[in-house]
Amino acid sequence: PKKYQFRTMRQKLLDTADVLDEQIDSMAKTLQKHHKIAESDFGNPCIASQFSVYCCGRIVPDSPFAPVELRLNPDSLFLETSRLGGIGQRISIDVQSLAEYSFFPGQIVGFKGKNPSGERFIVEQVLDIPYLGAPVSNKTELLEYKTNLDGSSMKTTVLSGPYTPSTKIDYSLLESFVQKLNTEIKPHSVIMFGPFLDITHPSIRDGSIESVPELQGKKVATLDNFFRAVITPILKKIDSRIQVILIPSTRDSISSHAAYPQNSFERKSLQLPKNFKCFPNPCSFQLNECLIGVSNLDSFKDIKDVNRGKIGDLNRFDRIADHILQQRRYYPCFPGSLKTRKGPDGTVEHICGADLDMPYMGLSELYDVLPDVLIIPSEMRYFVRVVKNVVVINPGYFLTGNNAGTYVTLSVKPPNPEVDDDDLTCINDDDRLYIHNIWKRARVDIINV
Amino acid sequence: NGDDLLQPLESCISDAERFKEAATLELTCTCGAHFAFGGIQESSYYTVTFSGIQCSSCGTQLSSLRVASQLERLIRHHISLYYAGWVECDDVSCGVHTRQVSVYGKRCIGNTGRSVGCKGVISYVYTDRELYNQLLYLESLFDVDKARRQELRPLQDDTENRIRSDSGETKKGISQSTLDALAEQNRDTFGAFQSVVQKYFEQCGRRYVDMASLFNFS
Repeated sequence: PKKYQFRTMRQKLLDTADVLDEQIDSMAKTLQKHHKIAESDFGNPCIASQFSVYCCGRIVPDSPFAPVELRLNPDSLFLETSRLGGIGQRISIDVQSLAEYSFFPGQIVGFKGKNPSGERFIVEQVLDIPYLGAPVSNKTELLEYKTNLDGSSMKTTVLSGPYTPSTKIDYSLLESFVQKLNTEIKPHSVIMFGPFLDITHPSIRDGSIESVPELQGKKVATLDNFFRAVITPILKKIDSRIQVILIPSTRDSISSHAAYPQNSFERKSLQLPKNFKCFPNPCSFQLNECLIGVSNLDSFKDIKDVNRGKIGDLNRFDRIADHILQQRRYYPCFPGSLKTRKGPDGTVEHICGADLDMPYMGLSELYDVLPDVLIIPSEMRYFVRVVKNVVVINPGYFLTGNNAGTYVTLSVKPPNPEVDDDDLTCINDDDRLYIHNIWKRARVDIINV
Repeated sequence: NGDDLLQPLESCISDAERFKEAATLELTCTCGAHFAFGGIQESSYYTVTFSGIQCSSCGTQLSSLRVASQLERLIRHHISLYYAGWVECDDVSCGVHTRQVSVYGKRCIGNTGRSVGCKGVISYVYTDRELYNQLLYLESLFDVDKARRQELRPLQDDTENRIRSDSGETKKGISQSTLDALAEQNRDTFGAFQSVVQKYFEQCGRRYVDMASLFNFS
């Protein structure tokens, strides 16, 4: 897609700031409309006032020196206002009177409260953020999908890299998995997340990738050639009747677009056949009626909230998935995560990070509808949850460390708009539009590789 | 910004000057030896032979993939470092060094974290100019024509050499004829390494002038 073809390594501070500012103002508009609050009832939370006001802002830590790895606490929260809402100033917030909350840095929130002294904004109420609607299809489309499937379920296999052990470069597990895919699993489609060859792998760092047995006798001069010589032949063995979707990772050596949002791989330069499709990271696409949203940046690990009350007792993944859906962004934290290593002499070495290209973060928004299925691979333990009728999946990694990991198979019962059951919800009799209710028709299995 | 106006055009200054701040490419050999690679020039840790780069401690020829993988990893390391987005306040009495950005971008959040008070200007610590220069430096290491003209950035950390020349011993350089021959013999292999850097230049926003912003079309 054209929009993802932006040039990287040219991030301007003012463009970054514009995006950060716009995130607050557009949420303020959404909240005004949803809660029917007059614009005049919105006020600047940073200045002293005897009356309660509504405001909107971003949750930030109370100090510029707060390291991103640290979890915030309820006393270290500030609210950042937009240029319009409070000339960009930040104010300490008091959340003691709230029975429950869940806040993380980068989150856009709407509050009602007051600032009696000018020093601290006392939050009285957190404004609910409305959810986006569900995608719909009309009867003709659904009947077509039903015929395509010929009565059987739509079957999709989802797996995520790394595909090599963490101590050596070895694709034999992937090779045997492809065999299993063709003969046993036999899905209609496979969604594969990168990294396929992780640029942060120790064998790339010291160059010992040269000793991979598959390379014997072949002249391979670069990592891109390595991909074509070693990984492409394995992927090519996937049965041509299976549609394969590749989603890159910012740690993929083959991608030259090393920033999130990330442009897709180029199928032709990878020398892959036509049953392969290369999509950007993040993106959404349809498999029959099912709208699948994917993002290959570990939001489940990186969103670290400070919480209180009932919401804190919820499953953490439910809470984070709910944040993603509310914030309408696949990766709503800011600043993005960093992975570093401390050397013996105390120096901190940068390894990798979220690599957010802030001016283009608009491309990581959910836009007009919620997906039916949301897939975000994570280093955290695999899971499948239904949150706000969205099937949320973390397939886990194909390999974790040196051990075989997990993959996921998603089966969706074919839609049948002619039968009046719970499987589809007709929302408009004239246009015959149906909500897909994938969460009622789907079965997700987490399987050991 | 104003500071740059008085500088000579970057393309006119020598590599030694232009790439002063660029990080060196450290190569690891199969024997475990690490050394800074500075292109076809004199070093006590490696020699460029007619068939590639040879480690001086064990005599092994480094394979192309070994060199290219370490080169590409270094490039990606720098791109990721750039995208970490560290910013800094130019007011020395403030000293804010953070990854948080105000909705005004250049306004300092200040020690109080309240985005009031400090009049300093915020900017990215790792600028796209530095990143671009880093990539250019890495590309120059494999520029055989520059090597022939002896225009490469000298290996600064080669302290052993410096001691030797201080003690009056003549530092043995590579003769011009050898240099010419080595350059031609390594042209293809080094070209492959340059293509690794080129892959990222094609993506690099700094290399392309945004005509729309210059002339304000649209």
